[in-house]
Amino acid sequence: MGDLTLLFILFAPFAGAIALIFVSNRQTMLVRGIAAGSAFVSLLASLYLFYAYDPVKGGFQFVQRFEWSRQLGISLHLGVDGIGTPLVLASSILLFAGIFVSWHIKDRTKEFYIWLLILAAATIGVFMSLDLFFLFFFYEMSVIPMYLLLGMWGSHTKTYNEMTDPEGLKLRDSVGFIFNFGSNSKEYAAMKLVLFLSAFAVAALMGILLIYKYSGLNTFDILVLREQAKLMNIPVLGTTLDKIIWILIFFGFASIAPLWPLHSWSPVGHAAAPAATSMLHAGVLMKLGHFSIIRVAFEILPETTRELMPIAAVLCMFSIVYGGFVAFYAKDTKYVIGYSSSSHMGYVFLGMAALDYISLTGAVMYMFAHAMATGMLFAMAGWVYDQTHTRDIPSLGGLSNRMPFISGCFVVGCMASIGVPGTVNFIAEVMIIVGSWNKYPLQVIVAVVGIVLTLAYLFKMMRGLFYGPMDQKYSHAHDAVSLPDRLPLLIMISVSIGFFFFPMHLYDVVRSGVDPLIAKITRVVPVASHDREPSAVKHEARAASPQDLAALPGDSPLTPYVSRSDQ
Amino acid sequence: MTFSFTMSPSDLLLLLPEIVLTFWLCLILIVDFSFPRLPNEQLAYFSIAGLVATLGCLVWFDVAGITGTLFANMFALDRMALFFKMFIVGSTILVILASVDYIHRFKFFRGEYYFLVVMSALGMMFMASANDLLSVFVTLEFSTLGFYVLVAYLREDMGSNEAGIKFFILGIFAAALLAYGISLVYGETGKLVFSDMKTAQASPGLAIGFLLIFAALGFKIGSVPFHSWIPDTYHGSPTPVTAFLSIAPKGAAFAILLRMFLVSLATFRPIWTLLLVAASILSMTYGNIVAIAQKNMKRLLAYSGIAQVGNVLIGLATGTKMGSDAMLFYLVAYLFANLGAFAIVIAVSEAIGSEEIDDYSGLGRRSPFLAFSMLIFLLSLAGVPPLAGFIGKLYIFVAAIKEGLYVLIAVGLINIVISMYYYLIVVKKMYISEPHDRSPLKVSGPIKVVVYVCLAGTLAIGIYPQPVTDWVVSAIMMFSDVADPTAALPAPPAVIPFGG
Repeated sequence: MGDLTLLFILFAPFAGAIALIFVSNRQTMLVRGIAAGSAFVSLLASLYLFYAYDPVKGGFQFVQRFEWSRQLGISLHLGVDGIGTPLVLASSILLFAGIFVSWHIKDRTKEFYIWLLILAAATIGVFMSLDLFFLFFFYEMSVIPMYLLLGMWGSHTKTYNEMTDPEGLKLRDSVGFIFNFGSNSKEYAAMKLVLFLSAFAVAALMGILLIYKYSGLNTFDILVLREQAKLMNIPVLGTTLDKIIWILIFFGFASIAPLWPLHSWSPVGHAAAPAATSMLHAGVLMKLGHFSIIRVAFEILPETTRELMPIAAVLCMFSIVYGGFVAFYAKDTKYVIGYSSSSHMGYVFLGMAALDYISLTGAVMYMFAHAMATGMLFAMAGWVYDQTHTRDIPSLGGLSNRMPFISGCFVVGCMASIGVPGTVNFIAEVMIIVGSWNKYPLQVIVAVVGIVLTLAYLFKMMRGLFYGPMDQKYSHAHDAVSLPDRLPLLIMISVSIGFFFFPMHLYDVVRSGVDPLIAKITRVVPVASHDREPSAVKHEARAASPQDLAALPGDSPLTPYVSRSDQ
Repeated sequence: MTFSFTMSPSDLLLLLPEIVLTFWLCLILIVDFSFPRLPNEQLAYFSIAGLVATLGCLVWFDVAGITGTLFANMFALDRMALFFKMFIVGSTILVILASVDYIHRFKFFRGEYYFLVVMSALGMMFMASANDLLSVFVTLEFSTLGFYVLVAYLREDMGSNEAGIKFFILGIFAAALLAYGISLVYGETGKLVFSDMKTAQASPGLAIGFLLIFAALGFKIGSVPFHSWIPDTYHGSPTPVTAFLSIAPKGAAFAILLRMFLVSLATFRPIWTLLLVAASILSMTYGNIVAIAQKNMKRLLAYSGIAQVGNVLIGLATGTKMGSDAMLFYLVAYLFANLGAFAIVIAVSEAIGSEEIDDYSGLGRRSPFLAFSMLIFLLSLAGVPPLAGFIGKLYIFVAAIKEGLYVLIAVGLINIVISMYYYLIVVKKMYISEPHDRSPLKVSGPIKVVVYVCLAGTLAIGIYPQPVTDWVVSAIMMFSDVADPTAALPAPPAVIPFGG
């Protein structure tokens, strides 16, 4: 495969989707086979990508560049760095798992898989785009499949007018009421999701267009822009241009992340979505926000990032606490997991806001780890819903008798989500906390409170679903027995646990992407000899390379940097 | 002023596409009268054959680079004219294909329908070449004449008659404005040819004259505030005529607008930019907001058309070469998406006899092909990647941001979100709502062809726009009078080594 790996990863799902168009809906096994096959190709290629990525060399690897539009200065420029690589892997794992999770969908199976494959491929496309245009292209492209997946295969319990607000209040959403987003909760959720994400996406597009104009380079290429774009100190509207662009980009992309005041589309969307879509949605779609902020704002506007990133540090506290409390009081399984996801995304923002080598590495690893953990939880919530046709926690209980495998996995999923040692989430959380402590002690305390909250609401849900007395009407519910049903959970669990015991390659890969970025933003380089890791030799080789130093603004004195974990 | 009408055979060559089509127009009438029992489809395919021959001529001209002017600059055949002629002929072919099944609704004069459609196409081809104010007036009226009849073609349908009357009265009014505007401009400058007016001095008479001409052309393209005929006329007309009306005249009128603003009025750009920005903002916002409330598919597409014209006007407002390229690109994207959507409206109304959005419920189950195609066309109109409409919108926005039209772009971006809402309402009906009646729909062959062509265009341009971009760039490149040195692209910067 070699250099073409990225094309395989990106286009295998597209090819699968196109092939599916020509298959009849009645040949169910063939439909599933094609979907699984194309996802498997993508998964194999991204495993190869992950292990073939050379962290010593760092930078963007597997680069592909095709001229796409000369007039607009757009090329299909693909490449991954240490930040994109694990996220590509996470996407294809979740896609592969998601196809098995939705194995039993009977209504319009073919269409379901087509849209699922397109959704995943678009997500993967964002993670490997080195061109602002294509980053946005794939980003927008992932929204419409969400609408159809939610609307056509989603679940809803109540009619729109008596829909209970996720926060426990009975009220009608005024905006949705005026415009009639839909007659029930899933139509409402789908419409809200699309409009919300589009509205913020166009803000990001405005930022991208401003970068394009003021760089004056006639290109959307991120690698060119980050070296040559001079966007600083252009006064406009009483502030400077770079700040306006940064705000547009940051909030444009943070809406999908979702950062606290912009989160309201997300839990409704999770709740309405079919299981596989929730997995992809929470697992990778939400990471598009963080990733795009890193890729666009961090790369192109490093100085502004240093100046304005405290905004994220403030908002992430609200994300963590608010999401945690709502999840604690929510009575719907998917709302619990949905709010827990938006709460956990606050950790990622904290790790990003601290602008520290350790914390940003932790944040990226946390994105990977959270994809697995939340994927498991949504897959199991979906299984429970399929068996019982309810998501109402108080009416459930005692299911562990009926489904021992699922309840066992659920414990692992909760552990992973909490970040118990034994799962890769633990490593990532510790890195975020340790890395951010010096800069944002308050936020770290909030984050630790958030972990306690996570423990509380997940255990509460676990008890509510699987233990205690069981209503006899659920006695027909059965466990995941066959291989296609168990496979997705086993994959995600083994990835989650496996990377706890062998995290070094993941760490090295992520670190190789984080290092140049943080060096550019904070103008401090890590002192290699202070790195405690066994692979310090590698770091030494890299830190001393002229490329790293050349990436820094030449006139600034480089402050020696001592890894804080050593102090 | 004296006109010399000495024409050499090589001058006649420039008129070849029009001559071919004129002959064919007569042939259509002759065939129709001579063989009254000829099935309607045959006549349709016969008309299409003529149009294809014309298209062949145009492609040959385009490839061979044959250009020139005739009749003392009244008739200009440049690359832009060729572009718009291909645009018009292409859309006419698709419209005729889409009407094959619709024709049976007409009680009388089925053969003349094709004659009128082709005649309007011919008029619009001349419009694309109109290079002075007199020929603008003549060709514009020539093309509209056919439409006056076509709009009211469903004689027993009150809606169609109402549409005809509305269109006729307002059309005549616009024609009067146009004539008055032309006389004012001629009185002020003493010139009729666009390129001769470049040196005109600003004066109130000139300003009013051009405003009146803009009003008349604004009527043709249906931009706010000259849009009031659009919803009722679109709603009442026979659907293929609506489809035709929503595409071809807009293309032809934009050709004239481009010549007028970028050639004659190039020196007054700062002033007319404001005018166009206002028209664009009003069109986009009004069209999109009112479209939300529509219950009828044709009315929805009518209002969405008003909004789309607002988008195209962004390109015109930039007043640069890139903006004009983007306009042409956008029109191509709009052609495929809009004609495709109307083709599906025709197919659905043939099958279930309704054009109400509510009756699209469950189309995804009744006819997956139609529903999927409609989804693609609507999303392309909304501007969702990877479809042609997205690239078109982005192209226009890029052109506009280079000129610093920030407010316009912000309004345009917000309008994308608004339009997404009402397009998705249709998508919701098609895919999420349950059908009232589960019987599958039958789609006829010609409509399928139209839908396939439009699907292919929408997807291909969205996935790889370079060929169309090259085409529109060369179309404006040869438009000799828009010599905008700033528009020349600097070489893209070399890609720096990766890593670090």
